[in-house]
Amino acid sequence: MDRPHSVAEENEALTQFLYLAPVGLTQLSMSGEILMLNPISAQLLMPLSRDGGLENLFTALEGVAPELRYLASNFVLPHGRICDGMRVQLNAGVRGVSDPQFLSLTLLKLDESRLMAVLSDITLQVKRERLLRQNEAWFNAILAGVTDYALVRLDGVGRVEAWNTSIGRVTGFSEADVIGRPYSIFSPDDATTADRDLDRLHEADASGWSIDEGWRVKADATRYWGSAAIVPLIDRAQRNAEDDCALDFPDDAQYCMVIRDITERRAGSEKHRLDTICDHLTGIANRRTFFEAGELEIERYRRSPRPVSLLLFDADNFKRVNDVFGHAGGDAVLRHLATLLASTFRQVDVVARLGGEEFAVLLPSCDLSQAVALAERFRRSIEAEGVEVDGEMIHYTVSGGIAAMDDSVSGLDALVKRADDALYAAKAAGRNRLERWPVPAPAAQVT
Amino acid sequence: MDFTQDDILALLDGVGDADADELDFGVIGFDDSTIVRRYNAWEAKAAGLSTANVLGRELFNVVAPCMNNFMVAQRFEDAAAQGSVLDATIDYVLTLKMRPVKVKLRLLAAPGVKYRYLLVHRPS
Repeated sequence: MDRPHSVAEENEALTQFLYLAPVGLTQLSMSGEILMLNPISAQLLMPLSRDGGLENLFTALEGVAPELRYLASNFVLPHGRICDGMRVQLNAGVRGVSDPQFLSLTLLKLDESRLMAVLSDITLQVKRERLLRQNEAWFNAILAGVTDYALVRLDGVGRVEAWNTSIGRVTGFSEADVIGRPYSIFSPDDATTADRDLDRLHEADASGWSIDEGWRVKADATRYWGSAAIVPLIDRAQRNAEDDCALDFPDDAQYCMVIRDITERRAGSEKHRLDTICDHLTGIANRRTFFEAGELEIERYRRSPRPVSLLLFDADNFKRVNDVFGHAGGDAVLRHLATLLASTFRQVDVVARLGGEEFAVLLPSCDLSQAVALAERFRRSIEAEGVEVDGEMIHYTVSGGIAAMDDSVSGLDALVKRADDALYAAKAAGRNRLERWPVPAPAAQVT
Repeated sequence: MDFTQDDILALLDGVGDADADELDFGVIGFDDSTIVRRYNAWEAKAAGLSTANVLGRELFNVVAPCMNNFMVAQRFEDAAAQGSVLDATIDYVLTLKMRPVKVKLRLLAAPGVKYRYLLVHRPS
């Protein structure tokens, strides 16, 4: 029989048990104030702390999961699960050096005064899932609903090479409409670029396929939600490995593209899909979607450099809007800003809310001067419009920072940092204005 | 001896365990495999762990996992890899008995010195 343990020994064993638990456990007040936490929580959270302290979990995670406070305060049941395994992206990673880091967060309401948070590092799991997701998309594309596909053969630069009746059945185009035309004719005008079309061929070469879901357009201009899989018919990746200098596309290269109308299937999974990729308040892309799209765009840039610009916008004096008009007013401003952003920019641009009142737009195949012009147009519309809440007009302005990708930018985080520096300069210079990176040093004071 | 003292790393090796127990800040000494070799009374009391249960254990995974990140553990690794002297004081939050406690940590290591040290000071 075990010898009896003293209370002190029991206590130490329990303490050690909690010290060693491989997940972070944190007990909070309803407003997020940290009451108790175990060591792994501190290990995961301290790198996010901006002031060297850990007083409030919502504050510590504000920059990466701005919706937490909102989710907690809007949870009406007396107890229960507020969020389950929510993914929080901490950074974009550094290409070839480190993977993007992710935390998983589960938040439980224990009673009217206490919350419990469970945190774990899921960086590796996310990496594995990404690979799995590609496989899944592929099987979905080839196995499901085989009655409604269009089979399109493309030449080496993505032009439609041959006709068959499945193209007419799904897209409504005729043979004369499509032969010799780039495959972008199946997409709405602002949903792709020439660079993007070539990217997808490159990606198909590199990984064996490229899958993309998004709006497609029929001959009569009606839109449908389509899945398009592109597969190289010749294993060019292997051949190019022997001849690394092979630029561009050899003439004999060919691809097969399978387009499927999945509008109906999408409707069924739409809510779940939107919950994962969209910001809860504004409905535009969330932080995680932005980072995923941004990393992919940087990879594409590395493979074949082309203009890529990034805009960051911040609602000016947002705290004052909240103070004067309350949170409902603040939320209305954020939703208005997001809606106008989405309608100002192209469908191929990634329009996202990064957190708080900070928004980003990633513009593929768009150089700095084009980006500046678009950003300026957006800034002016905001200044001119205002938003009405409960019969009262709220006028507000935005400041913007603009940066363009070039070879000296080490990765997505670095590009974001540049745009952020420019944004900071715009705010410092009086707000309701734009600055581009590099920000000129302030002129010497003449006395 | 106090927490901010210059050249404290050189002095610590000469301080016996009994004297280290008298200090009013935490002392954790560990070797180049990050095995805990010294753990004074202040630290044992604050963490709620007995010295005997901690000595011989791996520091960053078993004794103080809260410091296993780039802010603390990585800095010791980097200093060892570069063969450089480490003497840095940072603000940190420890989870002493699962309560968040603001502390100052002093990270100490130098090539040729037997143990590396983490000193823990709890501002009153």
